[in-house]
Amino acid sequence: MASSAAPARLPRHPAERIGGLLSLVSALLWLGQAAFIAWALADLLEGSGARALWAVPGVFGIALLRAGLKYAADARLAVAADAVVSGLRARIVSGEAATTAPSVAGGPGAVAALACEKLDTLRPYLMRYRRARLRTSVLPLLILAIAFWHSWAVGVVLLMGGPLIPVFMALIGWAAQEASEKQMVEVGALNDLLVDRLAALPDMHLIGAGDRIVDSFAEASDSLRTRTMAVLRVAFLSSTVLELFSALGVAMVAVWVGFSLLGVIEWGAWGATLTPFAGIYLLLLAPEYFQPLRDLSAAWHDRAAGEAVLDELALWREEERPALMTSGTAPVRPATPLSIRLAGLVLRRDAREIAYPDLDIAAGDRIAITGPSGAGKTSLLRALAGLERAERGAIEVDGAPLDGTTADDWRARIGWMPQAPHFLNRSLRYNIGFGAPLGDDVLEAAGVAPVLETLPRGDLTPLGERGAGLSGGEARRVTLARALQAAPDLLLADEPTADLDDGTAAAVIDGLMRFAEAGGTLVVASHDPRLIARMDRRVEVPS
Amino acid sequence: MKPLLRIAALIWREDRRAFLRGLALSVLVLAMGAGLLGLSGWFITAAAAAGLAGTGVLFDVFRPSAVIRFLALGRTAARYGERLTTHDATLRALARLRVRLLQSTLRKPYRALERLRANAFLNRLTADIDALDGVALRLLLPGLAGGIAILLAAVIVAWLVHPAIGALIGIGYLAVPTAIFAIGLRRAERPSRQAEAGLQALRSRLIDLIVAREDLAVYGQLTAARTRVEEAAERHDTARQHLQRVERRAGLGLDLVSAVMVSLALGAGILLVQAGSITAAQAAIGTFVALALAEAVAPVQRALSDAGRMIQAARRVGPEVEDNTVPEGVPAAPSALPLKVNGLTYRNGADLFEPVSLHVAAGETVALTGPSGSGKSTVLLCVAGCLRASSGTVRLGDADLTPAALGQAVVMVPQRHALIGGTIAENLRLADAGASDDMLWDVLRAVALDGVVAGKGGLRARLGFRGAGLSGGEGRRLALARALLRRPDVLLLDEPTEGLDSVTAAAVMAGLRAALPRAAILMAAHRAAEIDAADRQHVLRPARTVR
Repeated sequence: MASSAAPARLPRHPAERIGGLLSLVSALLWLGQAAFIAWALADLLEGSGARALWAVPGVFGIALLRAGLKYAADARLAVAADAVVSGLRARIVSGEAATTAPSVAGGPGAVAALACEKLDTLRPYLMRYRRARLRTSVLPLLILAIAFWHSWAVGVVLLMGGPLIPVFMALIGWAAQEASEKQMVEVGALNDLLVDRLAALPDMHLIGAGDRIVDSFAEASDSLRTRTMAVLRVAFLSSTVLELFSALGVAMVAVWVGFSLLGVIEWGAWGATLTPFAGIYLLLLAPEYFQPLRDLSAAWHDRAAGEAVLDELALWREEERPALMTSGTAPVRPATPLSIRLAGLVLRRDAREIAYPDLDIAAGDRIAITGPSGAGKTSLLRALAGLERAERGAIEVDGAPLDGTTADDWRARIGWMPQAPHFLNRSLRYNIGFGAPLGDDVLEAAGVAPVLETLPRGDLTPLGERGAGLSGGEARRVTLARALQAAPDLLLADEPTADLDDGTAAAVIDGLMRFAEAGGTLVVASHDPRLIARMDRRVEVPS
Repeated sequence: MKPLLRIAALIWREDRRAFLRGLALSVLVLAMGAGLLGLSGWFITAAAAAGLAGTGVLFDVFRPSAVIRFLALGRTAARYGERLTTHDATLRALARLRVRLLQSTLRKPYRALERLRANAFLNRLTADIDALDGVALRLLLPGLAGGIAILLAAVIVAWLVHPAIGALIGIGYLAVPTAIFAIGLRRAERPSRQAEAGLQALRSRLIDLIVAREDLAVYGQLTAARTRVEEAAERHDTARQHLQRVERRAGLGLDLVSAVMVSLALGAGILLVQAGSITAAQAAIGTFVALALAEAVAPVQRALSDAGRMIQAARRVGPEVEDNTVPEGVPAAPSALPLKVNGLTYRNGADLFEPVSLHVAAGETVALTGPSGSGKSTVLLCVAGCLRASSGTVRLGDADLTPAALGQAVVMVPQRHALIGGTIAENLRLADAGASDDMLWDVLRAVALDGVVAGKGGLRARLGFRGAGLSGGEGRRLALARALLRRPDVLLLDEPTEGLDSVTAAAVMAGLRAALPRAAILMAAHRAAEIDAADRQHVLRPARTVR
């Protein structure tokens, strides 16, 4: 599955081809550089050695050219790799922004790890694998031809060493890929685990169980090490096999050439005697015969790691996630009085279906949605905000069904108070107004003003995850301020007084009532009798 | 550079013998590689000379060819051993580093812990420690091994060939790559810092987008959030390209070094042969060794691309991991001692409340009431030892509460509960790893959650991350059940029945008391269900000073 689908999953970039060719030329130039070195040494042996010095500028010139070409090749390949990686990253970001359903590929930590570090592991794959493959398809054949030209014995040594390498490589590479896929999954899971445990750290500290969290993390990290070593052991084994072939090949060539030059061996060179030039030249070429194969093997592991990331990416992409209801255009907030109608609405929560009573809501209504814990009050509010789709039945807003074409305009007129707010890693001010200036009246109405006085940097105080640094009541008041900030027509509030003491609860209820008295429509999910008593109507969600 | 060296020493000390073995093997690999090529070159050239002179029969072929085979096999074996040894030692050292970092964080003041943004902290823990895995593998070992191998090769060449060529190789291959590394390090510092900052921003913003996307969607902010993620990605990419350029230039520099060294070794060899000081075979040794040593300096390029990241990581991680930590206490048998609070105040600019003095006897429940913001949670946190009271004492029986005794005897359940991804049993066993299934069911029954858990499929039912899958009230009760497993002498509860209907709330209060008949329970309360369940009420009065 992994290898056959590779080209389609990994986009190509024109710079990659140029980079590969430049790198091939640079490798081929070694043949010339080696010839100069061999010629100089042979001249010292056979002739006067007077001309040998002429080889030095040749060696230096070619080495310079090779270095330059390699630099250019790397630059082109880097351009190609950057383009591909940024493209894939952009696709993840836009994909995550297009839905509100969690991914099966993992929690926020896993998706972020995929978009950040894991995509970066494609870079070596892109920069090394295809280049190594190109070199492997040209250089060894050429060197083999040169070897056979001078000596069939050296040719046979190289021929024997060469083809065995791909066989071993395939076997070992196959094992390595399986192992590294497992390891990649583990890395993401470890990160998710860590985010989750860290969020629980303060609580665990309070019940004296912080060490348990540390221990469970140590276990996870140790299991990661064991798995990583399993991958590495296979990876090192394959490169060791290659090095062994390469070293033995070079040693055999050296020994045969030495014996031939001595005249001890008189076979292997097409009946003629081997010249010193040919002998030294063959010795210089022998390591380069194996080098592309070794590069390919190293890149093979990059490829295995890259393919594992591509598999994960494919899993992320293939998953059907319900798209967020949106048209993608700038919303136009309707000026007409709002209306909501629920008719035969059924929502799905996991395996359970929740049926809701029919309901009409008009502008200025105050509705309490009640029912036992877990009955489905929150799901109804989510559906009213266009975050959840009806399994059956319909939600009509402003006289039209709530769907992708109407949801944006509809949301522009609602304020939203979830029970567990998620604050962004930004200032309190941004978390309330999303960049809009804050009105003093809103801060006053939501009771945030006294909160600001106790904060070290006022409304510029950065908020942590779950609004850490704010008490439960303070966080609730901040979400109320956020909901009131854009002067909405409808306010959806999920248990707005839960976890609050009498005084704060009364303040929040007052804030909500002031909104209602100014003509706002209020839908609250609650089982707080103080709040329910202030509503016009009560809708019971049966359990 | 200094923090990096400190971390390097720390990593090295974690497994000194393994790293020394790894270093010896690395030197062996490089030396044998240079030896293999140099000896082969000498062998062939000398053989050719002997062949040409007609003295081939006298030439000893067997010893050199045996050594060539030995070097070929030995190098391969040494390489495998070196890689396994150093990688395993590094991974072990890093695992220990991670745990130390987590432990030291756990010992931070509660307020700091609470404000710690888990995302930012996660980034640091994973990215920094991942970056540090290169300290030994890509910086320390290749640097030391390369230096030693080059020196060794230079000395041998000076002895076998000619001192001039030995000096040339030694100075050229040691000095210039070192200079390239030093210059490259300075150039790479800024882009590497920017690339890292960009990546952290990218991750933190992407996590923000995913976690808060429902809220963002309702407020029409999803597009803005996405743009911010893309901005961070762009910043990261630009800095990264800059960094790669620095790294490529260093690579070019190293290639030029080896070009110059090979040419010089060859040229000097030729001149010396012409002068009659050395033979052609000796000249071959110099040239081939110069070719082989390119391998010893190649790691400089890779080291450069990582060094910036490593230095930053070391700077952040270093101070954290050097402190030694004390273990927390384990659950102990209840001792039935009264909780005595005397004249407790907490000052945050101004006093928050009037001095609190109260006693809670074993088996007694006291409700702490008072208007919002009067500091009920603060009192509980002071008693729990998470905040430092400005004055006053907290004692258990007649003993002051020491940090070790705190986690053991005093347990607090805060307003916002935190559950973890995993099974219900795993969530509970965080409090007591050895608890049997029966004990788990007992505490679930105490908080009237047994029916819900049974309905979800029992103790092995899985919760999503942060306990997703339970409603607010269910999660709250699971957190209470977890606290019961610690069997504390003093149980501190912050509005324990919030989010529960009054029938369940009363059942939970009764269940808590029944499960811990001898514990002193102090709770911040405002609901009737809570106050009714208490034996007494203590009203917290706001301090009269004007703010």
